[in-house]
Amino acid sequence: MKAMNRVASIALHTFKEAVRDKVLYNLVVFALLLIGAAILFSSISVGIEQIIMIDLGLSSISVFGLIMAIFIGIGLVSKEIERRTIYHILSKPVRRVEFIVGKYLGLVLTLVINTAIMTAGFYLAIYYQKRSLGAEDFAPLSAIYFILLQLAIVVGLAIFFSCISTPVLSAVFTFCVYVIGHFLSEIRWLGTTLHSSAAKWVTQVLYYLLPNLSDFDFITRAAHGEKMSSSLLVSNSLYALLYVTVLISASILIFEEREFK
Amino acid sequence: MTAAAPSKSGLHSTRNACWALLVLGFLALFAVQRQIDRETDVYAKINEVLYVRSGTTLRSLCLGNEGLLADIYWTRAVQYFGRGLMEGTGERRFELLAPLLRITTDLDPQLIIAYRFGAIFLMARRPVGAGDPQGALQLIRRGIVANPDYWRLWQDLGFVYYWELHDYKSASKMFAIGSQQPGADFWMKALAGTVAAKGGDLETSRFLWSEIYRHAETDAVRKTAEYHLASLKARVDLDKLNDLLEIYRRKTGHDAHSIYDLTSSGLLSGLPKDPSGIPYVIGPDGHAALGEGSSVDLRMVQ
Repeated sequence: MKAMNRVASIALHTFKEAVRDKVLYNLVVFALLLIGAAILFSSISVGIEQIIMIDLGLSSISVFGLIMAIFIGIGLVSKEIERRTIYHILSKPVRRVEFIVGKYLGLVLTLVINTAIMTAGFYLAIYYQKRSLGAEDFAPLSAIYFILLQLAIVVGLAIFFSCISTPVLSAVFTFCVYVIGHFLSEIRWLGTTLHSSAAKWVTQVLYYLLPNLSDFDFITRAAHGEKMSSSLLVSNSLYALLYVTVLISASILIFEEREFK
Repeated sequence: MTAAAPSKSGLHSTRNACWALLVLGFLALFAVQRQIDRETDVYAKINEVLYVRSGTTLRSLCLGNEGLLADIYWTRAVQYFGRGLMEGTGERRFELLAPLLRITTDLDPQLIIAYRFGAIFLMARRPVGAGDPQGALQLIRRGIVANPDYWRLWQDLGFVYYWELHDYKSASKMFAIGSQQPGADFWMKALAGTVAAKGGDLETSRFLWSEIYRHAETDAVRKTAEYHLASLKARVDLDKLNDLLEIYRRKTGHDAHSIYDLTSSGLLSGLPKDPSGIPYVIGPDGHAALGEGSSVDLRMVQ
């Protein structure tokens, strides 16, 4: 129970620090973008105003979330080391595993709150455009949930890389894995077209080893009102949970080995 | 200053737990990903989609690296429409072939191989190609504009008129223009004359496909040429066998029941086989035909 309290305390501290760093200012940009888009597309587009609004809104949530997940995630561990506050924290009865898990949960909490506010802004823009909100307008919520799952994995990646590298390289690595993670289906397909069995094997290993982030791409389908199947919801939630577990376990293993002298 | 360390046994158990989670997590991820693949298979057609259809737009987007991008598009075209076709791996969406080749040649107008490959696969009838000879003509004409000195594109242009459109006048004209280009092979001029005089005949067709086979730069084109040459050879063989059957009929006063009747009567020295190794037979209409299991497709030469 004490361990849980310590994790919660680190998570809360991480969230407060993010707020102090004024990261939530992105919400203003997001709101302006959506309001501007709502007004612009309502006046110049015919027939697909709402689709554009959903595509734009959800893509903005995804991009803003990604930027936050990478740039705050890579600093979670390295900043504490640079500022030497890590000595202060670990000299207290806080285990390294609690530190990593707490930092991770703190950033995920920040992203959840950030996404929740952006979602509210998104629905305000939809309401402004349609002058009403029906049950069918809530289909994009499943896509937003998938964005959050994707961001949870990206935060895990950022923490993992920040345990083994410098902040700049961690950002580069995380972004690269994020991009590759969206092309894994293509990589696997490429493997099936090659004659070399070694190349096929490598592409298969990459497909299962790297995070398959395209699994979470539901924005376009949500914009067309498609409903997500419950089995896909469960499978993807399980996938994200497992991948985050793997990443955090690996981060802890590396962080446990580090010496702070 | 050293950070406070937890007890050795505590550290040990944390590490063990982490390793266990790491290994078990990856194993479980494998199973979950396979489940997701099964569920999202309906959306796994992304490979058949072209995100940007305009080569000129792509050219401006790729910031001076259009050559590399052309190579990528070309590789994709070959992999997708070449090897896949020859290996018979499922249904192909030919509507993407023309845009893929157009983008490739927009990005790199000097990529001759793309025009020549496109000519064969756009022109060829289904299931081998897209069955779009007009698309093939359009592509080759663009190739000629970008590469006016390359005489073989005139050969390809003439070939499309000759083989698919049976427009022998135009074919002859294209061969004649091609023969005047620098470096053109001597036979182009003779070919123009033959096609103008005789129109389409099996020998000319065999010669043209043999030329394509000899100068093929990809396995896919080579195999397509081989496929057509096999069909042409079978067509020639069947015509010869039908002539022999007619001689047999005149000699004996009745129809032959099998190819063996021709060998026993001394008209044939052995049992003739088609290019796929299957012996010819006599069909129910009394004419020579391909045997069961033959992979030769005579529709290619009709």
